[in-house]
Amino acid sequence: MYSLVCLVHFVADGGRDVASALAGLGAAVAPTLPGVFNGGDLIAHFDFADEDSYRDMLPAIDGVLHGPGVARSDCAFYRHGRHAAAEPALASGVYRVLLLSVDRPVGAEVLHRFESEMVRMPHYIPAIRNWRLSRVIEARGERRWTHVWEQEYASLDGLMGPYMLHPYHWARIDRWFDPECPDWMIDTRLCHSFCTFGRGVLGAQGGGSEA
Amino acid sequence: MSADTTIYVIDEIVALPGRGREVLDAYRERYAPGAEARGMTLDRILVSPPMWLDDDTNTILITWTLKGAPNWWAMSFRSRNDPAVADWWAEVDEMIVRRSRHFATAEADMAEITNV
Repeated sequence: MYSLVCLVHFVADGGRDVASALAGLGAAVAPTLPGVFNGGDLIAHFDFADEDSYRDMLPAIDGVLHGPGVARSDCAFYRHGRHAAAEPALASGVYRVLLLSVDRPVGAEVLHRFESEMVRMPHYIPAIRNWRLSRVIEARGERRWTHVWEQEYASLDGLMGPYMLHPYHWARIDRWFDPECPDWMIDTRLCHSFCTFGRGVLGAQGGGSEA
Repeated sequence: MSADTTIYVIDEIVALPGRGREVLDAYRERYAPGAEARGMTLDRILVSPPMWLDDDTNTILITWTLKGAPNWWAMSFRSRNDPAVADWWAEVDEMIVRRSRHFATAEADMAEITNV
């Protein structure tokens, strides 16, 4: 399976028809919640069976993203990476996505270590109910996004509380993101965005873990 | 989790042979004021061995404190949004063999800090 996630920034007083247009193309669509950082006004999440399906749909999606009401967007198309769903039926939760760009020259072994540590977060932080870490095939927007880190929480409290405050996050993982740490390798410009779709987009991938 | 839990930020720096004093002086003059402005409090500076070596490496351990993970994030957001901080560490890399940064609490506070 493949997905495309787009964080859409509206022009002032714009965007009224963007959500319905993207939903009409098959996306899960929802306005972002207060507190996002470079996260846009709207999240659109598409699933595709294969890359050809994405290519076929892309002109129509671009027609919306380059159309009236849209100032810009950050998008990442990716093949589903490692994932697990502890609560696959979660429909009323909060979807959160982080777009990040590994922009420093690191070897494959370092990249593997980073990814291996990232996918251990749900083990230490069970408030992360469903999750997926994927490498980006095609990126657009402010950076050459290299990874998509998606999670679903039962509520916003899970994201703002356990996820942000657990030491596995700030005292372990964050060194890859922190210019003060020797392991720093990720552009400080990130997209941190979240919303409530009213349905799960990560649970459908199955309850088993590929972590 | 208590917002009062003391978090330690520990820089371990191994200076190039004969440059230990220079590294620490630069750290004090050019890094420490900004770190304090970002909310960290200097706890202690340790030098090993406790004499400046002319022809070998000194290891310098610098420990900062702050209270609670929210303040840790506030400090970190300020530093990563200030390009001068990354520039400083790039300059330091010219004077050192290696360095590391650790984030820690007292063992007695581990249960508290993980209770989120």
